[in-house]
Amino acid sequence: MRKEYIERQKREHGRKVVISLPIHYPKEVLTALDILCVELWGPPGEALSSQAGRIQTYVCPIVRKALAFIAGGFASDADALLFPHTCDSIQGLASLIPDFGGWDGPILRFIHPKGERRASSEVYLSKELDDFISQAETLAGRKLETARLADAVRLHVEIDDLRRRIIESRRNIAMSDKELYAALRRGEWLWPEDHLAELKELAAEISDKPQKKGVALMLSGIVPEPMDIFEALEGAGAYVVADDYAAVGRRISAPLSELPDDPRRAIMERYFALPPCSTRSSDLAGRVEYLAALYKKSGAAGLVLHNIKFCEPEMFDVAMIKKRFTTMGAPLLYMETELEKQLSGQLSTRLEAFVEMASKGGAVK
Amino acid sequence: MITRKIQYQMAKRAVGPFLMALDRWQQTQKARKRKPRETPFGPVLQSVQKLKEIMTLNYFEGRYADGAVPVVWVTSGFPAEVFFALGFHVVYPENHAALCSTRHQVPEIAEFAERDGLSRDVCSYARSDIGSVISGKTPVGRLPKPDMIACCTNICQTVLYWYRNLAEYLNVPLLLVDTPFMYGGTKEHHLAYVSAQLGEVIEAAEKISGRRMDSEKLAKVVENARDGSRLWGECLSISQARPAPWTGIDTFFHIAPIVTIRGTDLCNEYYRMLKDELTERVKAGIGGIKNEKHRLLWDNLPIWFKVREHSTMTAECGFNFVCATYSNAWAEAGDLIDPSRPLESAAKTYTYVYLNRDLDNRLKTTVDLARNFGVDGAVLHSDRSCKPYSVGQVDVKERLQKDMGIRVLLLEADHADERSMSGEQAELRLQAFMESFNE
Repeated sequence: MRKEYIERQKREHGRKVVISLPIHYPKEVLTALDILCVELWGPPGEALSSQAGRIQTYVCPIVRKALAFIAGGFASDADALLFPHTCDSIQGLASLIPDFGGWDGPILRFIHPKGERRASSEVYLSKELDDFISQAETLAGRKLETARLADAVRLHVEIDDLRRRIIESRRNIAMSDKELYAALRRGEWLWPEDHLAELKELAAEISDKPQKKGVALMLSGIVPEPMDIFEALEGAGAYVVADDYAAVGRRISAPLSELPDDPRRAIMERYFALPPCSTRSSDLAGRVEYLAALYKKSGAAGLVLHNIKFCEPEMFDVAMIKKRFTTMGAPLLYMETELEKQLSGQLSTRLEAFVEMASKGGAVK
Repeated sequence: MITRKIQYQMAKRAVGPFLMALDRWQQTQKARKRKPRETPFGPVLQSVQKLKEIMTLNYFEGRYADGAVPVVWVTSGFPAEVFFALGFHVVYPENHAALCSTRHQVPEIAEFAERDGLSRDVCSYARSDIGSVISGKTPVGRLPKPDMIACCTNICQTVLYWYRNLAEYLNVPLLLVDTPFMYGGTKEHHLAYVSAQLGEVIEAAEKISGRRMDSEKLAKVVENARDGSRLWGECLSISQARPAPWTGIDTFFHIAPIVTIRGTDLCNEYYRMLKDELTERVKAGIGGIKNEKHRLLWDNLPIWFKVREHSTMTAECGFNFVCATYSNAWAEAGDLIDPSRPLESAAKTYTYVYLNRDLDNRLKTTVDLARNFGVDGAVLHSDRSCKPYSVGQVDVKERLQKDMGIRVLLLEADHADERSMSGEQAELRLQAFMESFNE
């Protein structure tokens, strides 16, 4: 379905296609240049080719599987690859593929600043954005028009607003978490206007009354894979009430009091207004407090930290998050998955036990 | 404060040197009584005693540094010259973690961090240092509490995740120099960014220490750093001789001054002494091992807790690690440092670091080393704790084998945590690798 959609985008709209590794990049620029961005989170399941063996098994499975996908020839429909500077492993992949084989086509890079907002990082981000625009213009074969960029910014602001509203109102939507997440994650590959249309339909489903019953949980992690984690939770009598997945909630910029007229400036402000994320090396105390506030506001009865095995940025934040949630007396479960096709029986059992404990306001794990 | 300053100066100028002299005397007495042991190595370098004294004294003064002088903990790739120029006592947690590993204390210390929720899949240096902060356990007596910590991402992003945690545990500010990764060449705005951050770091360090940066002093420290880096490079190059007068394993230990006291007179004095001694050994035909039959390259960090066993095992079979990408990394920067433009040149120097550059460049450096040092084999340490250094090694192995016709072993281990390595399996693999040279 995804493949057909992409082919149609190329054929009917003459759009170039960029395959992007996670997570943060100025999508508005690509939209304004009529470039379809398709994100590559693995893909989940078995590695698609033996090329995964070129990276050691103790490295993040998203990166190993992405290498198998790209170097195995599954990205041949794309016009370019995009590597945001998310972590050391993606940075390594961004060098491995062009330097040692696997992809001969164009490569775009976006090396976003790490750490807190500083005078130096503001200037740098502005220049890096210019550089990214120039790379994207070369790919598109035309100059970026300011008016189109401004339109694209407004479009992505609208998408973010709707996504935020849907996530915040999820209790009131009569839809399973798996379906809801699948709908939200279609934004990883749909043309933004198509995604917006689907989000509008989804938002229309928001009822005045809660549609969900059971134990409300907050989930935090990199990417909700395997997606049947939601079925396991539902089966155990729980549902997701707050989200901090890097693939979902952490990509929704906080609303700005005023959107700058200059679209470049607006992109920068939206970048700095993103929720705290380990991959941007946000202030750790700030991230922990953000999570605590989100947890309290949502009324969740427990937190599931769902990490991807060997994801260093995320693993390093766990200790401080655990400390804070222990102080709050909030039940917490830490679990790791490896982009496998299905959730293991063992993890399902752990989730069931956790839901039961959370339902009783049990002790912190 | 005054008492603390007196204690610090006493430790630095009187007690420390006295204890070192005492230790020297005790060592001499022991050596006289000791029956000479048969080893596959050449005579021990005279400089080793001096190295031991420098490092022990450095940690000894550190015990009394907080409260006497401003203290900063930094990553090994940080442009620490700015702190030396401001009179900080500088602590290198990476060096400390390596020391914990050589003393086999990592499992015990890291466990404190693991109990707090830090996964065993993260860097063992980080776990050791965080565990040490939590527990107070350290092989050096005591580490001074820092006034701030400073992190540069030119060796990996991991250091930033690690230092964000340290900042929380220690409740001190974190200063950051974020160095954009280099794919091919660098970009002007990347260097401008690093330069601007260095300005911010100086401003913050002045504020925290209550001291003003003296530009002449900074220029002198930077000049020393340039010379020290060159001297270190010269020491390493001497191993191009056959037999190499020392071993690559020796370089893992002698690297300590260029990492921890780079920019000081003491650092350069030490490397002059070492260089002279190595030159003399070459003239006298003295090798780092007694019977050098094969010359190897080492890639990635050392396996600190196994260094002795592995080097003895290889030396017994006539294999000498004559060069290492790890030791070489601190020798590459020398020519980029310009004391007349300290900040601008530091931006370039600290961006062009080996690990901050693409794999193509890393392969080129490895091939150059292999050629210049005439190696006939290489061991690539696939380091579970250092993913950025290890990604790409599978391809590098193939290239080295194919393009250079040398034998290459990819050896999976960990730089500091012995629990993450199967020692027996690694030794068997090393043994089989060495046997393959006889085929």
